Amino acid sequence: MRRVTPDTIAVVDLAVCDRCGLCLPLCPPEAIHLELNVLTVAEGACTGCEKCIAPCPVGALAMAAYA
Amino acid sequence: MPDIDVLVVGAGPAGAVAAWQAKQAAPELDVVLLERDRAVGSPVRCAEGVGDAGLREFANPDGSDWTARKITKVIFQAPDDTEVLVAERGVGWVLDRTRFDAHLAAEAATAGAQVLVGAEATGMSRNGDGRWHVRIKERGQEEVYRARVVIGADGVETMVGRWAGLDTRVPARDMESCAQYVLQGIECDPDAIYLQFSAAIAPGGYAWIFPKGVGVANVGLGLVALKTDGRNARQYLDTWVERRFRGAARTGYTVGGVIVHTTIKKTYADGVLVAGDAAHMINPLSGGGIVNAMKAGRLAGCTAAAAIREGDTSERRLARYHQAWMDLLGDDHLKYYRIKQALESVDDEFFNKLARTVNKIPQEKRSIGRIFAHALIRHPQLIPVAARFFV
Repeated sequence: MRRVTPDTIAVVDLAVCDRCGLCLPLCPPEAIHLELNVLTVAEGACTGCEKCIAPCPVGALAMAAYA
Repeated sequence: MPDIDVLVVGAGPAGAVAAWQAKQAAPELDVVLLERDRAVGSPVRCAEGVGDAGLREFANPDGSDWTARKITKVIFQAPDDTEVLVAERGVGWVLDRTRFDAHLAAEAATAGAQVLVGAEATGMSRNGDGRWHVRIKERGQEEVYRARVVIGADGVETMVGRWAGLDTRVPARDMESCAQYVLQGIECDPDAIYLQFSAAIAPGGYAWIFPKGVGVANVGLGLVALKTDGRNARQYLDTWVERRFRGAARTGYTVGGVIVHTTIKKTYADGVLVAGDAAHMINPLSGGGIVNAMKAGRLAGCTAAAAIREGDTSERRLARYHQAWMDLLGDDHLKYYRIKQALESVDDEFFNKLARTVNKIPQEKRSIGRIFAHALIRHPQLIPVAARFFV
């Protein structure tokens, strides 16, 4: 099945992110990684489902246009 | 390439106990305990409360330097601040996790395990030699460790579980988003933990005050994002603290996730065991995870040691760990999870009425069981749940 490219994807503001790792198990395609104290969202894997956005305790994740 | 027997990823309570127990069960094994952060126990992402009996299975709190406060009372607070004192003795402790985790890691080291801090596992693969090849970054250098068994005790964000192909994802309704301050100069009973239930304060969860001394406490809350008005956990906490503890000094701050789910379907794979938060081994009603993690760590460490001695670290052999965990606590968590779901239907007015009803029971006769009995009278939809699990 061809993957539909989402209009928006999750992006992290590393100045706000506390590296708590809460968002990792919430991501259905496991697109979020935490390595060497840096949180990243894999652009090609994020489906834009927004499941990670509201649960972030500090509001470090937001949706942004996927160029 | 270091060739070892057991590699434990994560030196929290699950990992430290796993390394300690594996080495104690089979002293001839090479056991390595990895900690990603520069100090075991730091940063603290925990309210630090623990029950007395469970703790004592692993460490003696009397006179220790890793407890902050002995707790002898539990006080429930209704949404309207009505307090209900639950009389119990020897309830538990508020730990100093920076010292407690270091104490457990020291137990592992004393047993002969090697502890590595500032060392992060960044990936692992199976290379046909019956070993896991784990890439470890330390001081900018990468080294590959070969291990017979990898124990993933790497917390909520577990990567070991993912790398082993286990499903460690959690639905949003079962994730508590938590925020906490250490507050100084506050007025509360230093011998009591306070739990406040209210959809306005902490929707889908509760707010807590866990004293670390006279006038000092971990003050925090956990909520389910799906039930909020759009604010995040820290914003809810700021509102609550401003109302209850205006002017208190905030000398610490932490956030994190607590998975209030049931144990993952499969906690094992060929040469891999997953324990603690990483395997969702948390009491889904209380959100408590420390004792669960230590018990799982003990099972994982002992299972790994026995499997290596037998020369069989296959998925089939390691499945015994999963069964042992389910028998010990995992099946109970399934029951608690159903109670949690039933409690989701009660509202703030119910808790307010319940608090006033329970306060009419003489204090010496109050217990969690009696409070639950009164809850049933007021709220009959909980009866089927109670009938199934308490009778």
